Amino acid sequence: MAWHLDWAGVLTGQPLQWVISGFLTTLYVTLAGSVLATVLTVALLALRLTPGKVGRGFVAAYVSLFRNTPLLVQLLFWYFAAYGVLPQTWRFYIGDVHPWAVLPVNVSWLTPEFLCATWGLGLFSAAFLLEEVQAGLNSVPAGQTEAALSQGFSRWALLRYVLLPQGLANAWQPITGQYLNLMKLSSLATGIGFSELTYQISRIESYNAHALEGFAVGTALYLLLGLVMGWLLVAFGPKRPREKKPWLLAVAKSHGGQNGV
Amino acid sequence: MQHPSSPTADSSAVFSSPLSTPSNVAVEFRQVSKSFGPHQVIHQVDLRVAAGEVVAVCGPSGSGKSTLIRLINHLETLSSGEILIHQQPTAGLSGKALRQLRTHIGFVFQQFNLYAHLDALDNVSLALSKVHGWKVEAARNKARELLERVGLADRAHHFPAQLSGGQQQRVAIARALVTDPSIILFDEPTSALDPEMIGEVLLVMQELAHSGITMIVVTHEMSFAREIADRVVFMDGGEILEQAEPEQFFTQPAHPRAQRFLQKVLFPLRSAQEQLIKKGDVDGVAP
Repeated sequence: MAWHLDWAGVLTGQPLQWVISGFLTTLYVTLAGSVLATVLTVALLALRLTPGKVGRGFVAAYVSLFRNTPLLVQLLFWYFAAYGVLPQTWRFYIGDVHPWAVLPVNVSWLTPEFLCATWGLGLFSAAFLLEEVQAGLNSVPAGQTEAALSQGFSRWALLRYVLLPQGLANAWQPITGQYLNLMKLSSLATGIGFSELTYQISRIESYNAHALEGFAVGTALYLLLGLVMGWLLVAFGPKRPREKKPWLLAVAKSHGGQNGV
Repeated sequence: MQHPSSPTADSSAVFSSPLSTPSNVAVEFRQVSKSFGPHQVIHQVDLRVAAGEVVAVCGPSGSGKSTLIRLINHLETLSSGEILIHQQPTAGLSGKALRQLRTHIGFVFQQFNLYAHLDALDNVSLALSKVHGWKVEAARNKARELLERVGLADRAHHFPAQLSGGQQQRVAIARALVTDPSIILFDEPTSALDPEMIGEVLLVMQELAHSGITMIVVTHEMSFAREIADRVVFMDGGEILEQAEPEQFFTQPAHPRAQRFLQKVLFPLRSAQEQLIKKGDVDGVAP
């Protein structure tokens, strides 16, 4: 069979509309899921650091539940089981059309699919993010804690101004990877009929059988989104002092060589 | 040594330090003990340090001297006994009261423990702005003054990794002074330094000594103990075995273990050779 690529079947007309809508939907759910995952991570960390066994036990159970079960199963559970338990008035309200909840290119965030996808991705990712942040905190030497305590820092101030800035900088690469995972794993929400990028590409495939072109475009868009997200997270994320000002290190060294104080 | 039930002047008159009235005692240990699990490292220690006094604590490794000063600002918790800071008991303190106590006591660590993510200026100013609610600029101004005092005004924007050990320790001293503590504790401040950097740190400590601040210095630096301290406290096995003025301690140590310790510290090679010879005799091997 000869290769005969027909990009117009994906990049014009109705298929193009689907691709744009799917790409932005993936972007929206990634942002919403990331915000939810971040908030949950902070809450879980606070709960874990609070004295008492109950909080720590809850966090341990949370982590083992969400890390050890497939995300697809979790999404199916939230969408087909948990969502149905919500009060009927809520479900009717969410099912209505709300012009104020519509984002650019006619994507509404107030739909069962969008809410369940965000919720599932956020809860799942928080379990991983929590352990990555914890690993970062564990990498900060004990002397930093002693220094801050000896200066009268409270536990909270110690965490906020001494441990987290260093711990997050140490763990920033895996944390960045986790946000990228969240973006990529949003493709599993196809399984609950959420019309994100993968869903829309599959739709093109069944519409005009342009599977190769469609998935090539889809892959390129995921790649683009991943590269941009990764770059933004690294560029604006916390940095270790050496990474922050490499030129300063060089200046300090040449300076110190001349007049060692 | 003083007994806790008789905090009167006569018992402390042995030392030339100004311990005549109880009201100017900055730190007082009463029958202090500390155990880590089954291992007791401090045995019922009594000690008084007068306000403004400079005390050097010497002794072999593992003698409990670091633990002794870490008990003062509650980096370690007491097992029994009581430590009074300016006549106030501190044993049960926690939460805000403990944090308040700690801001009156500066602590300088062997390994400096500068905040690795902050430059020298922010290392010094952080506690003022985040614990004491100062405006950031005001805190930095005070930090600049202190960096100047330790001779590092030109290193304000260097990170700890960009500073030499001696410079890091001087920043750490500035940091410990930023809250105007009445007491400053040094835990082997020069032990982690290359020999040529010890002098610059000792110089800063010398300028600090007798400026009104109470200094308790755990040190192996005999020149500091001899030339700067008002009193030398010798510890071994978790007990204070001898306290004396430096001149007395270095020329006529009374306790046999203090004598042995001084031999080893002041003449390390000779005392090691002598020990080898002794051992050789015992083992019947020709030295």
